[in-house]
Amino acid sequence: MDNYAQISLYLVFFSTKNMTSKSLAMQTEPINTSSLHFKHPSTEKRMKLSNKLTAALLGLTLALLAGTARADQLADIKARGTLVCGVLANFEPFGFQDPASREIVGYDVDYCKGVAKALGVKPVLQVVSMEARIPELLQGRVDVLAAVLGYSPARAEQLAFTHQYYVAKQVIAVKTSGPFKARDDLDGKRVSTIKGSSNIAIMGRVMPSVQLVSYDDSPSAFLAMVQGKVNGFVVSEPIMHRFAAKLGPDTNVAALSPPVGLEYWGLGIKKGEPAMLDAVNNALDGMEKSGEAQQIFDTWLGPKTIYQMHRDFKIGSIKG
Amino acid sequence: MLLHLDFASIFAAPNVKHLLWGVQYTALLTLTSWVLAVALGTVMATLRAMGNPFIERLVAGYVAYHQNVPMLAQLFLWYFGFPTLLPEGAQGWINTHGSEFIFASIAIGLCMAAYYSEDIRSGLRAVSAGQHEAARSLGLSFTKSMRYVILPQSFRIAMPPFINHTVVLFKNTSLAMAIGVAELTYTVRDIENQTFRTFEIYLVGTVIYLAVSLSLMGVGAAVTRHTRIPAK
Repeated sequence: MDNYAQISLYLVFFSTKNMTSKSLAMQTEPINTSSLHFKHPSTEKRMKLSNKLTAALLGLTLALLAGTARADQLADIKARGTLVCGVLANFEPFGFQDPASREIVGYDVDYCKGVAKALGVKPVLQVVSMEARIPELLQGRVDVLAAVLGYSPARAEQLAFTHQYYVAKQVIAVKTSGPFKARDDLDGKRVSTIKGSSNIAIMGRVMPSVQLVSYDDSPSAFLAMVQGKVNGFVVSEPIMHRFAAKLGPDTNVAALSPPVGLEYWGLGIKKGEPAMLDAVNNALDGMEKSGEAQQIFDTWLGPKTIYQMHRDFKIGSIKG
Repeated sequence: MLLHLDFASIFAAPNVKHLLWGVQYTALLTLTSWVLAVALGTVMATLRAMGNPFIERLVAGYVAYHQNVPMLAQLFLWYFGFPTLLPEGAQGWINTHGSEFIFASIAIGLCMAAYYSEDIRSGLRAVSAGQHEAARSLGLSFTKSMRYVILPQSFRIAMPPFINHTVVLFKNTSLAMAIGVAELTYTVRDIENQTFRTFEIYLVGTVIYLAVSLSLMGVGAAVTRHTRIPAK
């Protein structure tokens, strides 16, 4: 059934492709030839055209008969020569606009480029919003989501996750000058969160004795911790480092171990595209082997950046 | 359009308890900041009536600042800014003794004091100068004539705007959630975040706010009626 549908679609594709080029030629002809000579070649072409039209219609009918016929996405992408990636543009360092070049760059963007290279196509960046990223993928406006997409069973019902390319740690940040050295030292203490963040639920599960104080935004929650109004701040590790880098040299902030939660980020693709999923996973595995994955991590999050993080995960299937 | 309301999930036992805590915090915060605002407002209005140009300008400056700077900015200033001026020990003490609540009360109280002082000032101006002269000629001191003659009359005159501002104060306590005071709006948002029943929980919150506001206005109207100075 699938092959049948594909063949008929190809038929439509090629016949219509030829048809448009010929019809363009037809339009230009009257300018080049006199009206007397016009009739003959044009009727010949019109006949050819009608044959092609018939073929196209036939193909289209067959395609429609075959049901929801569509070439598989990987073949589409290769035929098109581009891979459209949905990326965020306001989430440093994963996807953001470089102030100097005005281009969208970041960790996620480099993964998009790496995958496109492995597939032998050109990457095209499509900025998506955090809220609309999943619908954009499901409606086919982007081929791949590289948009800080954390794995969750509920999301996995909607879309297919590739291998993990980043593992986000949710940690409790504290001042190094304080008495807290390990995560569980904070049992029964006050910890700040951001209103509406998933960390509230995580903390309720992992450290139920902690008294949560939630603020409207992350700078407030961070400042409350720095000023000692709360004892710790639950946050994702890169964000903690970004804030810590903005503090003066007098105040040091560190993440307590163990983390309160881990989030496995994968690229998102449409469900029911096994060839595509395999190809992207192979591309990611290849990036791990070639050292490109490590290099991307070091570029955006490594010891030489303000994040000063070390990579302690490998690309591989998400354990869920 | 059909709205599928599901109140069952938001009225689960832990949520109701949570919500009641929020109501309690809102009530407490309203009370503390109201007491502060009314006391300070009365003092400022009285000081201004004394006629010392320096004090008058000082109070006018206070009122201008508190009426023209957004209350949220004032809250942040009190919560994040002011404590850094305190010595280390005092900071530690206040941080372990509910600094969110204390600074929210102070910020809302000081801000609303500006409005109350203007309400009372307008009341003072409405009491005829003859009343003041009569009180003084009976041998009452300035403070006593204020306390026994002028202020009681001006409070009655100023009652309607006074009640309005009390309702405003009550509603403004919701701003305190920005600095982590777990009052009613904070708990409403918390429950929304847990249940994703946005419409239902905000409806519950709205009903509570509306009920309290209307009760405040009702009580205010009753008090106004009972204390009204009868027409001659």
